[in-house]
Amino acid sequence: MAVAEPYLPPIGRRGWLRGTKAATRRVVARSARTDLAAAGLLVAVTVLALAGPLLAPYSPVLPTNGLPMTPPFHGSYLLGTDAIGRDVFSRVLYGIRISWFSALAVIASGVLIGGLVGLIAGAAGGWLDTALMRITDAFLALPGPIIAIAVVAALGPSLRNTLIAVMVVWWPFYARIVRGEIRSLVARPHLDAAVLGGASRTRRALRHLLPGAVPAIVVTASLDVSNLLITLAGLSFLGLGSPEPAPELGAMAAQNLQYLLTNWWVPVVPALAIFLLALVGNVAGDGVRNLLGRS
Amino acid sequence: MIVLVAKRIGAAAVIIVVLTATLFLLQRASHTSPVHALLGAGASKAAVRAETHKLGLNKPLIDQYLHYLGNLVHGNLGTSYRTRRPVTTDLRQYLPATVELSFFGLALAVILGTILGIAGAGRWRGSGVFRFVMLCGSSTPPFLLALLGILLFSGRLGWLPAIGQTSFANAPTGPTGLLTLDALLAGRLGVFADALAHLVLPATCIALVPAVSIGRILRSSLETTMGADHIRTARAKGLLERTVLVRHALRNSLGPALSMTGLQAGLMFAGVVVVEEIFAWPGIGNYVAQSIPQGDFPAIAGVTLVLSVAYVAINTLVDILQAVADPRLKP
Repeated sequence: MAVAEPYLPPIGRRGWLRGTKAATRRVVARSARTDLAAAGLLVAVTVLALAGPLLAPYSPVLPTNGLPMTPPFHGSYLLGTDAIGRDVFSRVLYGIRISWFSALAVIASGVLIGGLVGLIAGAAGGWLDTALMRITDAFLALPGPIIAIAVVAALGPSLRNTLIAVMVVWWPFYARIVRGEIRSLVARPHLDAAVLGGASRTRRALRHLLPGAVPAIVVTASLDVSNLLITLAGLSFLGLGSPEPAPELGAMAAQNLQYLLTNWWVPVVPALAIFLLALVGNVAGDGVRNLLGRS
Repeated sequence: MIVLVAKRIGAAAVIIVVLTATLFLLQRASHTSPVHALLGAGASKAAVRAETHKLGLNKPLIDQYLHYLGNLVHGNLGTSYRTRRPVTTDLRQYLPATVELSFFGLALAVILGTILGIAGAGRWRGSGVFRFVMLCGSSTPPFLLALLGILLFSGRLGWLPAIGQTSFANAPTGPTGLLTLDALLAGRLGVFADALAHLVLPATCIALVPAVSIGRILRSSLETTMGADHIRTARAKGLLERTVLVRHALRNSLGPALSMTGLQAGLMFAGVVVVEEIFAWPGIGNYVAQSIPQGDFPAIAGVTLVLSVAYVAINTLVDILQAVADPRLKP
């Protein structure tokens, strides 16, 4: 992890001199343009998620006039219809919207809460650092997704509660990363200069430390998108999300499990959508990491 | 060494206490009142009062927590709203199947992860395929793999069973509760082979995500080690690249992969819940999946406690093992 390594400004745009020989060769083989395109996928999916309602040909919750269980590519049903004649394509488009923005929301909260805790701990040092990191470690020592299940079960199943539960278990990871970056920045000479220059504690934290941690936060967050998509889909699969007929991808796969061997597309298509979203997340995360010159 | 072991076990104990406090508070904050869940909505006021008193819900919170802790120590996890049996009894019935599945899943994850990691670090022709497999593997939700596995190997080809743990009605149930082990102990090879066939699909589904993570970390740790001086020396004295990789690099690179294995066990448990539900596996994952729609909080809390304790125990063990393997980590 980035905890022990000193912060060196990336050499050139790619910072590739920092890697091992093998990594260097691989990074050079991929052009910066490919990485930019990969990172751009994040924007593309966000646009797709925003435009979902405009693109969906039918309602995501109401049955269409078509027959139930129409196979994909029949008539106007691109991905077929489900057991009560709803258009699977429209439902998946809305599902992508829910999954994508849920993942982004949890990441935003992780960056905010974890970033704040990490910044305070790293910048303050001393007993506050120890106390905050002990709490963080206690969270990290427990299996997050399992604790999330218990939290949602206690609060009552709904999408909002699921997001709250996952947010509760997700921030410590970011706190650890940010704190590590900040600690390594505190030891650098520009901070001594800031102290001598009379900058206040807050100013030092916000202007002299936080900007140095931004690349690490951005890389961690973009590599985290796919983990979150899969975790949230799993919770939704278990019924810990919005109730029927909400078009959640995980729940759609779970509720139509019984049709797997007769009408495979009804449960498989939503699961495939999660896979594609997570794949985009991974490819884009790698792109962002390469662009910011970190390994 | 003893200091380190004591420290780790102490930290684990603190975390377990924090966990029980969290579960206790969640139980109190739960939207289902335990009294109404046990008595039904139409219970008389007197009955509600009596039950509240019996459960100790009218006492101060700290007393209730101590009472809860005392119950935990005596193995009393409360009564399931759904099955109306003590949660401990339910857990005892369902736990062995989950232990068996997790064991095979984790073993498979370690084997697959090692293969992926070594192959990904290699630079021969075709090793790019392994990197592609890792990319796809880390993007696949366990339930997609389960659905596709059932469609292909159970539905289309008919090679593997997709439901439950065994096809035998009279499969042995003792003495360990682990079906594969019991079948071997009873000398029934047919049951053993059948149990293994039932394990293939679910174990693969839970193993994939951890395998990819282990593979990724092993690959990057191998790549770092391969740049070290002793590797250059090994190459310079003319050793085969394979020997260099296996004899000189692998052992030094195992540390991060080992701690990743411990961490991945937690994510794997979440996969276990989903996969057990799909395969109707008679384990605690399926038990909790059935309990969720009913709002059966004692059952959910019980499973959470068991899985979390297992997770903490695994990671404590990994920490200690690492210190044994790498003397530099001693305090």
